Amino acid sequence: MSDKAVCFGKPGLPGGWPWPEVLKIIPASLRQLLGGLPAPMLSQLEEIRLRQNRPLILAFAGGDRFLDSRGGLVGSPNAAYLVSADDINRTLQLISNSSIYAVEEDLRNGYITLPGGHRVGVTGKVVLDGGRVRSLKYISGFNVRISRDIKGIAQKVIPFIWDRRNGRTYHTLIFSPPRCGKTTLLRDVIRQLSNGVAELGIPGMNVGVVDERSEIAGCFRGVPSLDIGLRADVLDGCPKAEGMMMLLRAMSPAVLATDEIGRPEDVAALEEVFSAGVSVLTTVHGSSPGELASRPGLQGLFRLRIIERLVLLGRSAGPGTLEKIFNGKTLQPLEVR
Amino acid sequence: MLKLLGVLLVVAGGGLAGLAVARRYARRPAELRQLQSALQMLETEITYASTILPDALGGVASRCDRSVAVLFTAAREELLSMQGDTAAEAWEKALLRFYPDSNLTSADLAVLRTLGGVLGISDGRDQAKHLSLAREQLQSQIARADRDAAGNVKLWSYLGFLGALAVVILIY
Repeated sequence: MSDKAVCFGKPGLPGGWPWPEVLKIIPASLRQLLGGLPAPMLSQLEEIRLRQNRPLILAFAGGDRFLDSRGGLVGSPNAAYLVSADDINRTLQLISNSSIYAVEEDLRNGYITLPGGHRVGVTGKVVLDGGRVRSLKYISGFNVRISRDIKGIAQKVIPFIWDRRNGRTYHTLIFSPPRCGKTTLLRDVIRQLSNGVAELGIPGMNVGVVDERSEIAGCFRGVPSLDIGLRADVLDGCPKAEGMMMLLRAMSPAVLATDEIGRPEDVAALEEVFSAGVSVLTTVHGSSPGELASRPGLQGLFRLRIIERLVLLGRSAGPGTLEKIFNGKTLQPLEVR
Repeated sequence: MLKLLGVLLVVAGGGLAGLAVARRYARRPAELRQLQSALQMLETEITYASTILPDALGGVASRCDRSVAVLFTAAREELLSMQGDTAAEAWEKALLRFYPDSNLTSADLAVLRTLGGVLGISDGRDQAKHLSLAREQLQSQIARADRDAAGNVKLWSYLGFLGALAVVILIY
């Protein structure tokens, strides 16, 4: 299997670009179209959007483009390749390993995570059971979000979230609108803290990771497929609130990291973590500290005034741009060098 | 002397051909039963363990009888071949590899083909229904195969030899 995967590689792509993993879930007919794109374009690709009977759309850092039926990029939807029902059916089989029964729980949440941490959003007709979502059927749309593992992007952030005087990590919230690289940054922070940063005198520490959506560590069968450092322990696919308690009790972490908090039970679990003296690293959707503080699910968290650093990401110089870092108590921006 | 050699060759050839046909009849019920129990294993893997299909097929292949293991091994290989095949296509290719060397009939093959069309594409409950339906259909094929075997195994064991003898007598 691995021999065949090798031939999926494309010369000229930056190291670590997950082309083979992404290509595996694309139907054979579309693989040829996508494979024809030049490597510099592919390396900019962020999302592949498949909607039945509508044009195939590729989302790049610089905006959306359509793919025509000869594999060229076009700006107008009229010449674009239309996604067929067969393409959708094949994609569904490929992302689920031909095992819908094994991804029922994921479908209920609206996404399936692939090895490598790529998340595929799924839409279709919802099947209800007693008013709650039981499953999806007549699946008709996918959004393949390509996850990138970029080492070193946390370099600028680490000095701000490390409390040198007390030798601990500040409670940190990374926030941004979608597609700005929150998870990528979080992963690199986890990696650097768990490995330790010699230049800053940061010793390697145990980092507990609750990876509810398998995006941080990209676990496959419980084993991380992305580099998260030497001392990170991952609870894969675990609900955040429960997972934080499990790690707190069992793995003696110095830092607990999790992705996309927002529900009241997450905040309640965080309180427990704070009182145990463990530092928290987490992410949330949002665009300004004021907006976060007024959000119903997060009000409780801000009332505690315990978050010490707020890191805002944006796209002003491409995805993952570090825009501002705020002091969490005063909500005043700190100087970013 | 040469004639005697010819007679022996004709009788032996006819006899062996008859025995081969008889053996097909004799082996078919056993193969169907092995398939039935392999599908039971597959159902357990799918419904209780939610094992993904390639792994479930691999698990069944390693535990089921050798006579039918090739079907599951081949289906697993096709799924993992990265050709972008659906489960139905992989199963169909596996059947084409398995069927010619098996002792099954086209009616047995049809049951397995129908199953391939729904393999993996629905939730656990639905998969269990389809798999148990396939096993029921195999059960009725087994009853038929047993009846066929009871009549035909003896018939063909003798028919080959006797037919060959008749040919010998006619030529004389």
